[in-house]
Amino acid sequence: MNPLRDHELNLTRRQLFGRSAMGLGTATMAQLLGSELLAQTPDSPDGLHHKAKAKRVIYLFMSGGPSQHDMWDYKPKMKEMFGKDLPEHVRDGQRITGMTSRQKNLPLCPSKYEFHKQENNDQGVWVSELLPHTAKVAKELCVINSTFTEAINHDPAVTYIQTGSQIPGRPSFGSWLSYGLGRMNEDLPGYVVMHAKTNYGEQSLFSRLWGPGFLSSEHQGVLLRSQGDPVLYLNNPKGVTRTDRRAQLDALAALNESQHDRFGDPEILARIKQHEMAYRMQTSVPELMDLSNEKESTFALYGEEARQAGSFAACCLNARRLAERGVRNIQIFHRGWDAHGNLPKEHESQCKDIDQACAALITDLKERGMLEDTLVVWGGEFGRTAYCQGKLTEQNYGRDHHPRCFTTWMAGGGIKPGITYGRTDDYGYNIVQADGTPIMPQPTKDHWTPGSVHIHDLNATILHLLGIDHRKLTYRYQGRDFRLTDIHGHVIKDIIL
Amino acid sequence: MIFSILRSSTLAVGFLIPTLFAEEKVDFAREVLPILSNKCFACHGPDTKKAKELRLDSYAAATKERKGIRAIDPDDLVESELIFRIHDEDDPMPPEEDGKPLTPLEKDILTRWVKQGGQFASHWAFVPPRKEKKAPQADVIDSYIATGFTKKKTDLSFAPEADRPTLARRAALVLTGLPPEPKLLDPFLADKSDGAYERYVDALLTSPQYGEHQARYWLDAIRYGDTHGLHLDNRRGIFPFRDWVVRAFNDNLPLDDFITWQLAGDLLPNPTVTQKIATGFVRMNPTTSEGGAIAAEFQAKNNFDRTETLGTVMLGMTFTCARCHTHKYDPITHEDYYSLLAFFNSTAESPLDGNKYDHGPAMKAPANPDEWKLLKENEAKKTAIAELEKSLTTTTLIAQELPKPRVTKILQRGEYHSPIGDPLTPGVPAVMSPFPDDAPRNRLGLAQWLTSDDQPLVPRVLVNRVWQRVFGYGLVRTPEDFGLQGEQATHPELLDWLAVELREKDWDLKHMMRLMVTSRTFRQSSRRRAELDDPENRLFARGPGFRLDAEVIRDIGLWSSGLLDPTMGGEGVKPYQPVGLWKALMHPASNTKNYVQDKGAKLYRRSLYVYWKRTSPHPMMTLFDAPNRESSCVKRSRTSTALQSLALFNETQRIEMGRKLAERIVQIEGDDKARLDRLYKLLACRPALEREQAACLGLLTAMKKRYADATDEAQALLSTGEAPLNESLDPIELAAWTQVVTTVLASDVALSLF
Repeated sequence: MNPLRDHELNLTRRQLFGRSAMGLGTATMAQLLGSELLAQTPDSPDGLHHKAKAKRVIYLFMSGGPSQHDMWDYKPKMKEMFGKDLPEHVRDGQRITGMTSRQKNLPLCPSKYEFHKQENNDQGVWVSELLPHTAKVAKELCVINSTFTEAINHDPAVTYIQTGSQIPGRPSFGSWLSYGLGRMNEDLPGYVVMHAKTNYGEQSLFSRLWGPGFLSSEHQGVLLRSQGDPVLYLNNPKGVTRTDRRAQLDALAALNESQHDRFGDPEILARIKQHEMAYRMQTSVPELMDLSNEKESTFALYGEEARQAGSFAACCLNARRLAERGVRNIQIFHRGWDAHGNLPKEHESQCKDIDQACAALITDLKERGMLEDTLVVWGGEFGRTAYCQGKLTEQNYGRDHHPRCFTTWMAGGGIKPGITYGRTDDYGYNIVQADGTPIMPQPTKDHWTPGSVHIHDLNATILHLLGIDHRKLTYRYQGRDFRLTDIHGHVIKDIIL
Repeated sequence: MIFSILRSSTLAVGFLIPTLFAEEKVDFAREVLPILSNKCFACHGPDTKKAKELRLDSYAAATKERKGIRAIDPDDLVESELIFRIHDEDDPMPPEEDGKPLTPLEKDILTRWVKQGGQFASHWAFVPPRKEKKAPQADVIDSYIATGFTKKKTDLSFAPEADRPTLARRAALVLTGLPPEPKLLDPFLADKSDGAYERYVDALLTSPQYGEHQARYWLDAIRYGDTHGLHLDNRRGIFPFRDWVVRAFNDNLPLDDFITWQLAGDLLPNPTVTQKIATGFVRMNPTTSEGGAIAAEFQAKNNFDRTETLGTVMLGMTFTCARCHTHKYDPITHEDYYSLLAFFNSTAESPLDGNKYDHGPAMKAPANPDEWKLLKENEAKKTAIAELEKSLTTTTLIAQELPKPRVTKILQRGEYHSPIGDPLTPGVPAVMSPFPDDAPRNRLGLAQWLTSDDQPLVPRVLVNRVWQRVFGYGLVRTPEDFGLQGEQATHPELLDWLAVELREKDWDLKHMMRLMVTSRTFRQSSRRRAELDDPENRLFARGPGFRLDAEVIRDIGLWSSGLLDPTMGGEGVKPYQPVGLWKALMHPASNTKNYVQDKGAKLYRRSLYVYWKRTSPHPMMTLFDAPNRESSCVKRSRTSTALQSLALFNETQRIEMGRKLAERIVQIEGDDKARLDRLYKLLACRPALEREQAACLGLLTAMKKRYADATDEAQALLSTGEAPLNESLDPIELAAWTQVVTTVLASDVALSLF
């Protein structure tokens, strides 16, 4: 490429982003604020609004609602209450779903699993036997038992936590980040989404969860797939080699330059640049997916499943490899956590899918010196009920959806390691203060109840760690400056280093 | 007070400017109101709750004495508190912490406005459009555009007219979404007589492809999908509605009827089957039947969606804010929102869809063009509906009223379980023109209000979107927002003229299309003008140029390669799609978890008919900026991404198109240059230019050489796609040409309007 073309392409980039064809949606916020370098320079230390503690985020999303009762939120007193009805004063008129609202009673259902107290950097944290590996990295985790939401069904709840609204139409969390931060690697997408395999797929995902909403569609998440081409349409068709493609792209550039000379549309030059990036992706993505240079110790750490494309372990390993290559924004969706019945069987399988890999990811990042600036987030869209859905026995039970409290954990990226945050009552039903007084928090613009973490608070905190003020990352659509956190959200300072 | 103002040095600047231009009359609606809305209304706007607090949204409120002070003091305008506070350095308004300081120009405008009397006027979009008395009598569009030029630069004029092939291609793509058929193009290029272009445009307007293309914009706006959209995202019986939209555009159904039938076809006296099919519009909101979903919650959510979509699509207004509280910027109260919602609250369907295809009320509807033809004949003969339905073989969702309306109340903070106040009568925001006295308080009355003569928003909003699809950008650049926070029209008089013209000509869309497409403005060359700094073409001093939409890009490939199946309507079709895309997302109980690719002709239907699964639309659509149709989209983004490049070169159908188009040109022409000209004639309506020839023939030579040594590779390339291969052609030559054609199909001549 000659220097003049290079210069022209650079100009074009600025024209494109600065005064784009369809308005500001094409530009990233970083570019709008003039910190274009941020979006272009790998490992820029600065954040968009303040110094970022995390350069990238790996979000492990457990779709369906993992049971905090059986994994994280230890309730020893429940043992004595086996089968007794949930007291009215605990429920306090809160709504429950149509699936259990017609049950004659709501029998309390203690977890059948043993919990062990793990040492952390605070008072210790109780972790269930379902998570033996994760328990070993307890010193890195900030375990939040007081996450809550208002949505009580999957579709609205997962849409809520990922887009800030229960009704479809808003940009996804990842698209906001893409819009806010741009990308660090020019040869890979800036926002990558993976779907991990599960034995229990009774859950739906929706492209809106990584979709751009009303932002420019370049901010949509790029699926990294385990079936077919890892990135859609990555591979050349049969009978076309890389040399052939080079020749095609050279001819294409000549055609487009001719068209550009005739019409002067700078978008044409922008497209030439994207064709070149696509060409580079055709080597950078296979390089990413090629695990042959990973040491045996990697598979000892993540487990042998990491060799099977599409397993949660493989996704976690990919996540680390993406992070190493400067991809900022990585999400893994793992379905199958919606245990209305047969919870033990299902959750044992689900936990087996994720436990070792979660721990491995954290250990691996730490060993590589990347944990301190990589934020890892684990959680679902809501929790599960203290009472049983369907038939309750000591060995088998189910749990309905419970939005009023659930467990999320975070690690790295500026999060205080080895702490717990927030507590729930003896039933794991309501969030309470230290003295046991229930907190009935509402997501409000101006008030926040210490100890509670609304999903808007969670998102505000994640953005904060990435150097973004959630109140300032806005996009004007229909006359309103929209935000991921709508009009809500408080950064939970107590859990930040 | 004056003394304190003059103490501040920065302020002196801000204060001196106005005195220099004090004579220049400020236009409240155009200049002042946007500032008040953007910078002041968050605290002093229509939603200000406490009676004691200052409101700046009316003259009465702004001049009201509060603790001896008036924001606007009619007795001593210069001493008005408003002027003082916006210039107060120590305690400025708006407060610094709000992060929205006034610019010097804004302070100047507000100051001049107050000094000139501080009078209020309605927001421009709420005032019914009028044709100016001095409106030009002919070539109205061009006259108004030319007036815009002279405001910018006295000697600025139109760009030269685009060459004929370019113009022919442009008009065809804008009207039909396809390049012109040679049988239409060649006579036009040969016809040098007066009116040749107008005749060509008229022919395009009567092509059935016109309706297909125009329908697509409407389907984006009203979020048409073939699935329910939430949770299981099961199949939904609604495609007859889509086919009706296509037919309505082709029949040029007046837009007022188009609106009325969709909103309230069922409430018309003795409604026809066709009118009832049109009410599928009311049922278009995404729905769910997720286990445990609470019916009352989704009754509310479904209605929010309908109300807000109506606001965006018809009124160009966002109602969403008013779901929870009175709008901060626009004069829509909390009660207005729920009064409008009340029109939709009494439809008969259950709020939970049961995951059913025919979630009732539903009715029999035509499944294909033959049944539509039969239906039309029967309706002309006034055949009884029961009799007529026997000939219809599919089902479509429709709207129906409950015998007894549901009670609608305001929902506090938009929470379905927190109704407050008295039951509401269905009604509309009065500021946007009054509800007609004689109209019923139901969806039919709502339609009458939307199409009434003094409705200020609907014709402007509709005609703006028509302009947007013809010229690439609207006259109002925020087609989704005509409210106080939206952009103002670049050519307000023209917008108003067009809005009135639409209504006066009985809502005749083809008439409006013709006006626009035959204008000199449209016919200009789209070449960027070096002398103008106008990247967004706000002056319209060049012709339209932009990347085409996903559907058009695909359709051009199908059409030029001869693959396009012209069959209209019917169940959505499923062309090639990478394996497992749906399965990776879907619940095992969903009946859309498996993508079963079609075979034969259905692979090659126009993209309008591609099956639209809302939670996972076809990637060749979404990669090229199509919305997911879960919510309204009245303006698509236009991006250039690396993923598009991969798709253009590697997707099965793109390779198949390349091969079939290669077969086509190799068969009909003998030498490579003539073949290339044929290719460019199809895609650009003209022969290849010298540089294009050099690039393509260079690539062709290289590819012939490369495949000559690798026949198996050539065969492999030619085996892509299910369309049969013409075995009589030399595989090496065909493979080489396939590579060239695929490249040209990925180049700007096949992707853009220019």
